[in-house]
Amino acid sequence: MKKIVWIAIFIFAASFLSCANTGGVYQEGSYSFKVKIPAGWRKIDRPYLLITKEGPFLQNIMVQNRSIGKAFRYTKKKMQKEMLPEEAAQLIIDEYASDKNIGNLKILNNSPAEINGHNGFQILITYLGPKGNEFHTLYYGFLKADTFFNLRFTAGGRQYYQKDIETFKRMMHSFEVFKVPAA
Amino acid sequence: MITWPSKFFIFIFFLFSLGLTTGCATPPESKALLVSDKILANDDEIMLWQKAAEEQGALESTGFIYPDHELEEYLNKVVATLQAQSSPFDQEIRVKVIKNAHLNAFAYPNGIIYIHTGLLARMDNEAQLAAVLAHEMTHCIRRHALRAFRRYKDQSVFLRVVEHTLSKTSIARFMGFSGATAAMRGYVRELELEADRVGLKVMAAAGYDPGEALSFFERMIAEIEQGGPEASFFFGSHLNARQRIENLQNLFASSYNNRNSRIINSEIFLAKLNKLYLDNAGLDIRQGRFQAARRSVEKYLRIKPDDTRAYFLLGEIYRQRGQADDALNAIKFYNHAIFLDPTYTEAHKAIGLIHYKKGQRTLAKKFFESCLQLSPDSPDKAYIQAYLKQCAQDGEG
Repeated sequence: MKKIVWIAIFIFAASFLSCANTGGVYQEGSYSFKVKIPAGWRKIDRPYLLITKEGPFLQNIMVQNRSIGKAFRYTKKKMQKEMLPEEAAQLIIDEYASDKNIGNLKILNNSPAEINGHNGFQILITYLGPKGNEFHTLYYGFLKADTFFNLRFTAGGRQYYQKDIETFKRMMHSFEVFKVPAA
Repeated sequence: MITWPSKFFIFIFFLFSLGLTTGCATPPESKALLVSDKILANDDEIMLWQKAAEEQGALESTGFIYPDHELEEYLNKVVATLQAQSSPFDQEIRVKVIKNAHLNAFAYPNGIIYIHTGLLARMDNEAQLAAVLAHEMTHCIRRHALRAFRRYKDQSVFLRVVEHTLSKTSIARFMGFSGATAAMRGYVRELELEADRVGLKVMAAAGYDPGEALSFFERMIAEIEQGGPEASFFFGSHLNARQRIENLQNLFASSYNNRNSRIINSEIFLAKLNKLYLDNAGLDIRQGRFQAARRSVEKYLRIKPDDTRAYFLLGEIYRQRGQADDALNAIKFYNHAIFLDPTYTEAHKAIGLIHYKKGQRTLAKKFFESCLQLSPDSPDKAYIQAYLKQCAQDGEG
């Protein structure tokens, strides 16, 4: 019996560790990234990196490398190689403003930002979700070659935003881009 | 490839279509009550009205309402003219405008009509507006929401169809249940045809030219078919829309062919909508619909030929579209905006951006500097300072 309990504890600990700090490399396209997942956060199965601590509607961090040729869902606009960070930021704001699931979008900040040596932008927005709940999103993005990288922290309300914003910023400092060797 | 949600939708839509062809469900028997001073209704209608009022409150708190009191007054005046020619409803029909670039209008069962800026911006005159309002008003007066709701025995299937249909459409999630039911009428062909037929009769009785309804609907269907805007409640599916156009053409040919001395009211309409044209052009630019945006700005310029913002927006259309020669056209319009108002900082900055991207640092610096001089606390100050820093590092260009 004691043995079974130990095995159960081991399996639980192993699965917890693998969820809480998956680490590793997330890869898509010719450029990819590495980022350190904060302790206590778990990965959600998505075609991009999405993590949460208490549930995605309370707080989530999303990190994505997106091919610039891929049109955005609502505006159908595409990033272009020669875009300035400000133009890329405007495209993201346009996409949020055109998102059918959100209302009352407010842009609290839109400014240039350096994301671990990459010149990009940061935008801070608030909006209402479909059920009238308020969300805060801090969005960083930059273009590198044919890829648009973005890191965003979304929290359900100001309280959750304040609670984990520093964790997000620490995670952002661990973010690194590398070129995927040709196969 | 058909995705899972599409398959789900097709399946549900199939069930829904069965409901259409196999006849009506028996309306639930329930106690009649008053929903307003004079309208007698059963429990289900009371529920629809109560939900409508709640959901309108929620919808209007989301920041979607277009704040133009004068325009709202004008729309309400037009709808009052139409209501005077219609069957009694004993409730004043009111119109509100939603800040959204899509081609939609919908009515809640309690007589509140919402019309999108996108649909208004495509209109050229009051007769076209009357056509849309008379159509929507008919939905209220003929209690179409209630009739659609009662039609289906299995209301959960009905609601799932509603939900799925609306999930494809902008702001739908904020409309709630009764709004969704109202919107769903767009997919009940028989009710749409009735609203078209009665709407045409009402607008003609009010003195408007019904030919404008036909030409406007034809133009909008063509725009939708070109793959532009997303599914529209007002025009319904393409198939339904085509049938509706054919019916309107037949009605027009048989009953309304005499277009002499009919009201069109282009000038007053353009004057009342002028600000909306520019605001909606901004929304169209945001969604990458540059052609529609340009048409709206050009309409606006017919009323106010010397408007700085209109020329700035024309510049934005070309700069953001980014095709060959677009940068030159953009600069031409920005310069005209500056000619009209030398302090228009956004135009200074936009010209700076074009030069900056072309590597013309000296020119870029000049425009960025003038922008900051004119507006030292500009919200994009940090970006402009970064550009100036880069210009200084790169030297003359």
